[in-house]
Amino acid sequence: MKALLTSLRMIVIAAVLCIFLFPVYWTVTMAFKPAEEWTPTGGKTYWVPDHPTFDNFRRIFGGTPGGSDSFLVSTPINATDSIVTSLVTSIVGTLLALAVGTFAAYGISRYRAGGKMLGFSILQLRMFPPIAVIIPVLFLWTYLHLFDTRLGLILIYGAVTFPFVVWLMKSFFDEVPREISEAAIVDGCSQFGAFRKSVLPLVKGGLATTALFVFILNWSDFLIALVLAGNNVVTAPVFLSQITSAATGEEFGSRAALGVILITPPMLLSILIQKHLVRGLTFGAIKR
Amino acid sequence: MEITTDTTTQAGDSLQAGGVPTAPMHPHRHISRLMILPGIVLLLLLVLFPVVMEIYISLTTWTPTTGSQWYLAYRNWTWFGNYWDGLTSPSFITAAVRTIVMTVAATGVEFLLGFGLALLFLEKFIGRGVATVLFLIPMMIVPAVSGFVFLLLLRTDGPLNTAISAIVPGTFEARWLTDPTLAPVAVTLVDIWQWTPLMFLILLAGLMAVPEDQIQAADILGASWFQKLRHVVLPIVKPIILIALIIRGMEAFKIFDAAWLLTQGGPGEASSTISVKLYREAFQNSQWSYVAALAIVVMIFVSLAASQAIKPLERQQERGA
Amino acid sequence: MAQIQIQQVTKTFGRFDAVQDLDLEIEDGTFVALLGPSGCGKSTTMNMLSGLLEPSRGQIRFDGAVVNKLKPGDRNVGFVFQNYAIFTHMSAFDNIAFGLRIRKRPADEIDREVRQVAQLLGIEEMLERRTTDLSVNDLQKVAIGRSMITKPGIFLLDEPFSNLDAGFRSYMRAELKKLQRELSQTMIYVTHDQIEAMSMAEKIAIMDRGRLQQYGTPDEVYNQPSNRFVAGFVGSTMMNFLPTTLDRSGGDLVLTIPVVDARPVAVHPRDGDGDSDSFTLGIRPEHIELVDPGSSSASLRGTVTLIESLGPRNIVHLTSDGYLLRVTVPPTVRPRVGEAVGLDLDARRVHVFADASGKALA
Repeated sequence: MKALLTSLRMIVIAAVLCIFLFPVYWTVTMAFKPAEEWTPTGGKTYWVPDHPTFDNFRRIFGGTPGGSDSFLVSTPINATDSIVTSLVTSIVGTLLALAVGTFAAYGISRYRAGGKMLGFSILQLRMFPPIAVIIPVLFLWTYLHLFDTRLGLILIYGAVTFPFVVWLMKSFFDEVPREISEAAIVDGCSQFGAFRKSVLPLVKGGLATTALFVFILNWSDFLIALVLAGNNVVTAPVFLSQITSAATGEEFGSRAALGVILITPPMLLSILIQKHLVRGLTFGAIKR
Repeated sequence: MEITTDTTTQAGDSLQAGGVPTAPMHPHRHISRLMILPGIVLLLLLVLFPVVMEIYISLTTWTPTTGSQWYLAYRNWTWFGNYWDGLTSPSFITAAVRTIVMTVAATGVEFLLGFGLALLFLEKFIGRGVATVLFLIPMMIVPAVSGFVFLLLLRTDGPLNTAISAIVPGTFEARWLTDPTLAPVAVTLVDIWQWTPLMFLILLAGLMAVPEDQIQAADILGASWFQKLRHVVLPIVKPIILIALIIRGMEAFKIFDAAWLLTQGGPGEASSTISVKLYREAFQNSQWSYVAALAIVVMIFVSLAASQAIKPLERQQERGA
Repeated sequence: MAQIQIQQVTKTFGRFDAVQDLDLEIEDGTFVALLGPSGCGKSTTMNMLSGLLEPSRGQIRFDGAVVNKLKPGDRNVGFVFQNYAIFTHMSAFDNIAFGLRIRKRPADEIDREVRQVAQLLGIEEMLERRTTDLSVNDLQKVAIGRSMITKPGIFLLDEPFSNLDAGFRSYMRAELKKLQRELSQTMIYVTHDQIEAMSMAEKIAIMDRGRLQQYGTPDEVYNQPSNRFVAGFVGSTMMNFLPTTLDRSGGDLVLTIPVVDARPVAVHPRDGDGDSDSFTLGIRPEHIELVDPGSSSASLRGTVTLIESLGPRNIVHLTSDGYLLRVTVPPTVRPRVGEAVGLDLDARRVHVFADASGKALA
């Protein structure tokens, strides 16, 4: 009886896993499918690519399709710029949020800066639908000539992920006993010196986790890049959505290829931080 | 495992008998202010100021098409005209209701699925670690990509319909993306796919943190599996469930990426969530001041809902759970 | 109210034998202490008795019936944990009532029973309180009440009082003994504190590294230790051990201690394993008398190094040719540090252990 239940359990888990991973499977296989296999032809769905190819990847990096007739128009697509833009804005935005947020987190954790309200109001920021706040920023940005610039995106990314940094780093700082900084101060350090030399090294792991987490958030952003940029400065997710709107046909394969490139960094990085995922996704409220 | 929503507890605090932390002295007020200064500046500039600006514009009927700069909007002052229009507009109300329904549905399903999965994963089995990591993958998929993927999956001739056709008599040809009733379901489906793993993770962590000896004590006293769940496990896991629901609900309410990429809020406005509606009013209809008012309304609503939702959590903190 | 038989029980985790070939028979209604150092297998044995673990080999019987495969809930045992395992989200009342609620008893019966138990334990006032408001001492009482209420045939307690304050501990020990006698429960009490075991138990089962060392009354365990481990483990001031050589002469064992000026001691043997190359002599501090160094009754001579005054008695520490010894003396005896003394060993109380097996010969 017990063995039966266990096997049943395994089957259910395997089935659920398959269902949940199918979309990923579909994306990856689509990225390697030639144009003829993108949509079912003659009632046949291509569950597994019959003739896998790298064509789609070549295509999104500016290659013209290798003589295939199924491409309706062959305007070359080059996603390189968008990928670079995504990288740059995500990384710098992360650094910005980290810098500002870590200080604030230390202040809140150690000195109760802002009292009870500050922490919660920072959390509240995450509750507003981004679209609600983005519109005035759009005007402000236009006025400041930051619209459609990388700097503009970086600043917003920094601001938007700032709450995450604060709450995450605060939970890490909370775990460092006061005595450590107090000992440093007794040894002659200033408040800031104590922070820098004795506490900061202890939360290196937390810093790394937070950085990776925030990077993933910035990298995944769509709405902000869509609204505050989109012409000259195009991030990869926006580029992905634009591939169709141009007169290039459905381009499923190419979009899937770009999609595969897009999702790989977060997947790899999240393996590194999986221990702290729960902490990050609940704003530090739950620590394992 | 700890749950901290309270900003005033940390290592090194002195605890009195009742479990209430007493804050130590703070002789370094200036340092604390200094540390949060850059953060405050950032927020002021990028959040506070725009919101103030938004309130200002919402009280006018200004749009960029009038040709003047935004700070001159006072020339088109209209007090609460936009607010009235918004609150009485059926499409806004519908969008709001629709978003709430989708949020509740998504969060609810995610919770039930996640909880069920967590229960399945509770006892060790070979490959549990690998399976857990695999389960996290949907969460990590960039929403722009997941929107795209479901566009492919939910095509009338796509794999989902094909798979269902294999099980169901006849051909299953649901028009997920073009049927007004199915479109919002499709969008909800994407959210469920993407975020059930999160619920699963959080709930699994919560379940694993239940003290083993309490379970053993219940065993010895003769409790059945279900009795253990109901009387021992659930009360302990309740705060975590609450946090998970609140956080997920918060995020689900803001759904944009998937909705936009799948259906652009259509057909018509069938799958327009609040975020999508605001986006369309702003960028397709150029109704900036109207949008500003709507945005303010949404923000007020969300703040109220959030402060209400936090209350049971705060009560738990006080009880020293 | 059940007799327990543990027959050849072994529990293995991977390659590690937590419990090996345990044979124990516990009479109905007795208070037995399971004594031993950390890691000796006592908690594992408890878990097998309660049903949380299943023996790898051997059988456990309650009143003759094999219970190896029986679920904990079906065994009718009560278990008190070291860390109470109180249900933190319930009131004290609900905690105690849990066992009856699970069995779907009517509310008025539950109410009656809970109050009765609470009265017995002296916690009626606390019933409505949440467990987070209770002191450690009250929490343990609630834990006991919770296990009692289903009137189990066997009561298992795993170091239940080790987290309590010392004064309260002795109070609880007395209360527990009273309870056990009143209810004639079969009680098994795990502890690493030999004083506790000696004071409370009718019989003590001493374990070390998974094996049963001795099972007997406190008197037997104290005065007739079956091996060196038991001899050294039991007794508040540890037994003195000295190496010795063994000669047999006319049915007696003659022990010669390799110490300067030592006189041989003749000891009457018990049945014991005699096979060993070397032997150890053991004698408790209270069985040595301090005499004049020149006296003929002194088997050994030594020099005083330290005197501990404990009030009702003193402990004199001495060295004898490099060996450290302790002697318990009445409070009036106070030799000076550095003084040379003679030690008169009570030959009837001398123990001999074969070094190879540890077993006692006398």
